[in-house]
Amino acid sequence: MLKVGIIGCGKIADSHAAQIRRIQGCEIVGVCDREPLMAQQLYKRFPIKQWFSSVSDLLEQSKPDVVHITTPPQSHFELASRCLEQGSHVYLEKPFTVWEDEARTLIAMAEKRGLKITAGHDDQFSHVARRMRSLVRSGYLGGPAVHMESYYCYEISKSGYAGALLGDKQHWVRRLPGKLLQNIISHGIARIAEFLPGDDPTVMAHGFTSPMLRSMGESEIVDELRVIINDEGRTTAYFTFSSQMRPGLHQFRVYGPQNGLILDQDQETLIKLRGARYKSYAEKFVPPMNAAKQNLGNVATNLKTFLENDFQMKAGMKSLIESFYESIRQNSPPPIPYREIALTAKIMESIFKQLEKQSPLLDSDHRMASTNTAR
Amino acid sequence: MTTDIQAVTRVGASPDAGLPGDATVFSGDFIIGRDDLILITGASGFIGSRVVRRLLSLGFRNIRCFARPSSNAKRVAELTELQSEGIRVEFVKGNLQSAPDCLAAADGAKVVFHLAAGRGEKSYPDAFINSVVTTRNLLDASVRGGSLKRFVNISSFSVYSNQGKHRGRVLDESCPIEKAPAARGEAYCFAKVEQDEIVEEYGKKFGIPYVIVRPGQVYGPGNEGITGRVGIGTFGIFLHMGGSNTIPMTYVDNCADAIVLAGLRKGVDGQTFNVVDDDLPSSRKLLRLYKKHVESFHSLYVPHALSYMLCYLWEKYSEWSDEQLPPAFNRKRWHAYWKKTEYSNDKLKKQLGWAPKVRTEDGLKLFFESCRNRRTSA
Repeated sequence: MLKVGIIGCGKIADSHAAQIRRIQGCEIVGVCDREPLMAQQLYKRFPIKQWFSSVSDLLEQSKPDVVHITTPPQSHFELASRCLEQGSHVYLEKPFTVWEDEARTLIAMAEKRGLKITAGHDDQFSHVARRMRSLVRSGYLGGPAVHMESYYCYEISKSGYAGALLGDKQHWVRRLPGKLLQNIISHGIARIAEFLPGDDPTVMAHGFTSPMLRSMGESEIVDELRVIINDEGRTTAYFTFSSQMRPGLHQFRVYGPQNGLILDQDQETLIKLRGARYKSYAEKFVPPMNAAKQNLGNVATNLKTFLENDFQMKAGMKSLIESFYESIRQNSPPPIPYREIALTAKIMESIFKQLEKQSPLLDSDHRMASTNTAR
Repeated sequence: MTTDIQAVTRVGASPDAGLPGDATVFSGDFIIGRDDLILITGASGFIGSRVVRRLLSLGFRNIRCFARPSSNAKRVAELTELQSEGIRVEFVKGNLQSAPDCLAAADGAKVVFHLAAGRGEKSYPDAFINSVVTTRNLLDASVRGGSLKRFVNISSFSVYSNQGKHRGRVLDESCPIEKAPAARGEAYCFAKVEQDEIVEEYGKKFGIPYVIVRPGQVYGPGNEGITGRVGIGTFGIFLHMGGSNTIPMTYVDNCADAIVLAGLRKGVDGQTFNVVDDDLPSSRKLLRLYKKHVESFHSLYVPHALSYMLCYLWEKYSEWSDEQLPPAFNRKRWHAYWKKTEYSNDKLKKQLGWAPKVRTEDGLKLFFESCRNRRTSA
């Protein structure tokens, strides 16, 4: 039985506890939050053996084999280091760390101690993402990716999250180097990192504060971001984060030398894009029929998954956790290659450093930078 | 935290502007004097702003309002303008999750009206941290301050289980509290049950004098929309679940009156008061009036037996499918919201001398008018 601990009992910890509960062969031996009441509320609602308000107590008394860290990102490096030093494997929520060098240090620490570590990029383990990965590995693209487009949007309205974040100048998200972006874009960047062949891409970032946020008096938060990534002239990618565009897409498009794929995370659909063209007017009729057929196929697949009771909102997280635990048991490679985790951190750091160089007050002269700071 | 003591002196500002006329004045039957400091959390909120006005109208002259930095700026400005010669309305902005902010807020307060709470929507941790952790912080601060004469905790009807009670029987303050609030599938209920518990615990441990106030559905201008006790619009068509049920409503100014009295009357420490108005409408009547005066839409009546069965099936499916559908509908929730129940305000009237100043008929008119205006301006 794998013994699991959770550090940080906020919103995302609920998802972790719920998915761990669904996995055979593991138990949550302890949860910890420096606010005892928060640890207690999680303990009361899930099958959990003990709660703690001290990380040391959790590690020493519960001796977890693996620890899920679900705290704000500023604490990730220190907490993950402590867990690794105590001999626990680590599942670290996204963003993995604040800085790239911290990510590389943690990976090195884990490897040195024969432990595993993974990042909470669970969107890459949803049903549809796994179908896409399987197709790419089967050679459907016809070679390495030529170009990718990753959309990761976050709808901000004048109420709800925006109200809390925008009204509170001390909010922890504001203290991140990349602020709102850093807390959100990992999933969309990680998708690109997965298919980039090299480790040293050029990153060009362009960000600005949307008119909607500016109308609310906000000038620090960048909520519109466009990024161009160029991997030594072999593979390129566009990344789009927007709080204002509708629909607020969570979509990934990858084009190879022969074929392409479109993944829609929200709809859990995967569409194959055939590279070869049909002759004459057939091109006007056959591809749309083919797209209709594929969409119906996606409906059938989603329905089947639903009827099999495996379509929970965080099914991707369950799959990632299961794969991670399996890699611990079998001492096999972790589900997310370390190269991909480090590259995601590298691209993100490059984006935030470029944005930081620009003036916080933006209007027509939006932040624009074109440097090789990722190198 | 920023402490912003408004220094503007205004002569002639009416502290009870917007309140229905009433003759209640400062009374010797209150536990504090008119110059004692009163703290109101959530002061710029829907109910909190009315509580401030009510206290001023009763002659209290030393009010500290606590609100989040992101709170409704218009309401803050309106309340600040209530200051006048000899009347202090201090606005303190901060976060109740911060112990130092709570200490500064509670410093010197004789009565705390704790209205700030987190709805949390679907997130248990969000609801919990903004209801329970904040309340604990405020209680700790009050214990350290040592000057507190009463802590008024604003709870909710949602904490009552209403299960195991005969259909139609009266729900009053003696009814049992939800024993397994997490199973209700409602973060707000869980947080409120825990919040009440921690207040009672501090009462026992540290001798904090407290009163718990549990309003029913608080309605009025500023809180537009139909309560879920009438029905739900989640599935594309409005499902009318309430039928002939009585809807436990209280007009916002009546509710503010009850809260103020609960904080001031002598001899009620440790008591709980439910707040509902007189002449409560049935769900069917409320829906009909809403459609007539605000907007017309299609609704489908779901008889009680059928709604119970649907809740039961949803609950079982949720369990069986590992919460592929979250347990948003279940038997506990049906009992709490859609079971035929009557309500009492006898204790409120007898022990606090409360009476609803705004009749339900008049309150609904104001409410519908506000709903219409909101729709027009949307």
